[in-house]
Amino acid sequence: MPWYLYLALKQLFPTGKRFPFFTAISIVGVSLGVAVLVIATSVMGGFGAKIREMTVDTQGDVQVRASGLIANAAATQAQLAKIPGVIATTPFAEGPVALIYEPAGNAGGRKPQFPAMQGIDVDRIGSVVPIERYIHDGALADLDDDSVILGVQLALSLGARVGEKVEVYSPRGFETAKRDEVLLPRELRIVGYFEFGHQALDNSVALVTLRTMQDLYGLGSAVHGINVKVKAGLDPDVATTRINAALPPTANLHARSWIDLNQDFLFVLQFEKNMMFFLLMFIVVVAAFSVTSSLLIAVVRKTREIGLLGALGGKPRHVAACFCFQGFIIGVGGTIVGLALGFSVLYVRDDIVRLFTQLTQSEAALVRFYQFSHLPAESDPSYIFAIIVSTVVITTLAGLLPAWRAARLKPVEALRSE
Amino acid sequence: MATSVTGRAEIGSAILTARGLTKSFPSGDRRIEVLRGVDLDVHAGESVSIRGESGSGKSTMLNLLAGLDAPDTGTLQWAGSAPNGDRRASFLGIVFQAFYLIPELDAFQNVLMAARMLGKLGPAERTKATDLLARVGLAERAHHLPSQLSGGERQRVAVARALMNSPQLLLADEPTGNLDEHTGDAVIELLLQLCAETKTALVLVTHNIEHAAKTQRALFLKEGVFR
Repeated sequence: MPWYLYLALKQLFPTGKRFPFFTAISIVGVSLGVAVLVIATSVMGGFGAKIREMTVDTQGDVQVRASGLIANAAATQAQLAKIPGVIATTPFAEGPVALIYEPAGNAGGRKPQFPAMQGIDVDRIGSVVPIERYIHDGALADLDDDSVILGVQLALSLGARVGEKVEVYSPRGFETAKRDEVLLPRELRIVGYFEFGHQALDNSVALVTLRTMQDLYGLGSAVHGINVKVKAGLDPDVATTRINAALPPTANLHARSWIDLNQDFLFVLQFEKNMMFFLLMFIVVVAAFSVTSSLLIAVVRKTREIGLLGALGGKPRHVAACFCFQGFIIGVGGTIVGLALGFSVLYVRDDIVRLFTQLTQSEAALVRFYQFSHLPAESDPSYIFAIIVSTVVITTLAGLLPAWRAARLKPVEALRSE
Repeated sequence: MATSVTGRAEIGSAILTARGLTKSFPSGDRRIEVLRGVDLDVHAGESVSIRGESGSGKSTMLNLLAGLDAPDTGTLQWAGSAPNGDRRASFLGIVFQAFYLIPELDAFQNVLMAARMLGKLGPAERTKATDLLARVGLAERAHHLPSQLSGGERQRVAVARALMNSPQLLLADEPTGNLDEHTGDAVIELLLQLCAETKTALVLVTHNIEHAAKTQRALFLKEGVFR
């Protein structure tokens, strides 16, 4: 090992000292920055991934819609099935309804809710979106034309439970009212709840069969769209391009990937994550300044030693390398400790959040504002790589100024210094 | 210049030649002439002392001889060629008044540092460092930090370090200045003995007339020239 690297290591970890204070403080400063960066980007990534996962789990990879209704869903599905990469399709109809639950003995009833009702093809939806895994207190197979599966928060808002009935009022009632006709509400039995873990969905969506939804909206056999699942690993945007190219122009159909459908939201998520990374990187920059300050003090304190190194034949660039390398070692050490700390905190994040919310009695608020019942985290390797490289580069640069000062010292003047 | 098969100058041949060295330093709006045309020849294996009053330019002279500072005028040659930073570590060893050991390294590593700076670090160098420490009476304290050593012990480590690369010339700048009389005498004895054993030329800057008398040639620096 070259002498200047050896000396840099020895100055950071002197012989006989178990706890080199300057080194420990410098490494802790950098590691805190790295840990915060890892935690923040991973949690942001977790939120993003959770939202993406839920989006795909409810919408499928690609959605095909017409400018109006798709009159012949079966024919369109047959066309889609022939396109390479398309694995499965399922039609859907959707729209807002009014739901009212009147518990026995409460003639006044309760406040109505206005969820978005999704009409799904019970036999085919499982091949496109894994909705079954989100259903509890019932099963998808229980859903028939006289039943409904409610979002768990929606059921709570209504006060309705599995086995009880709710009344569904379709917007078609407004049209029939113009003709002095009354469209009676449809009674549906609750056969289960679904819980995506996302407040907005769990509070405002109800699932019925496609036929029920077609009846409620008077669609006949038409549907609003078709959700498509593509082969694993196939880019949804590529699949979308293929589908649009394969669909006959006269059909007036248009496919959009889930990424395209949610591009504004995805952009905001990515932008927030990038801004978080940028702002939190300043913690590392501040830590790097403290490293610079400490190394500058070391240069002043060791002026005569630096003179000695020159007198023993050390070249200025090697003296500089000695101090630069100290910044590098602090960066590497801080990064390793910071990664370990960050991932450890992520590992116990739910316990920490639980403890915090218990102490502050804010568990309900957390679910209400952040939409999730547990803290998601997903570490993007590219961000982790960026954190590692940025930290090591910044701390190495932190050693540059002290290194430059040390290299400029003339041995004879350094040795003469008091 | 005559050299042996080891590349070292043969005994008696000049390894250090200084001609007309002058050096002045600014002091306010004028310059103080410290050296005014100094000539010096040091031969291989020879011991030379330089005495002088405080401020007479002894340390300045030593810095010029070590190539740490450049003279205003005059020439200097190390074994027939101009001083060169790359050669310094192998050609000469320096012992300072304030020891200048590296506090983070133990005695053994401080001695070995001289070889490390030349890029030589093998079993032979480790053995030599151990031998040198034994030679200066510090075999038992090889793994003690400078802070755990007395002044005399630190200076002995510095002597061992200066001899580590088998230099042809050893420059000692008041090596006993920070030591008590008894310890200082012991260090000078050791220095002279080791230089004689290793056939290393010695230039000793000292205030002490007794120490100067122990060298083969004693010079006195006054008003910028040798008297």
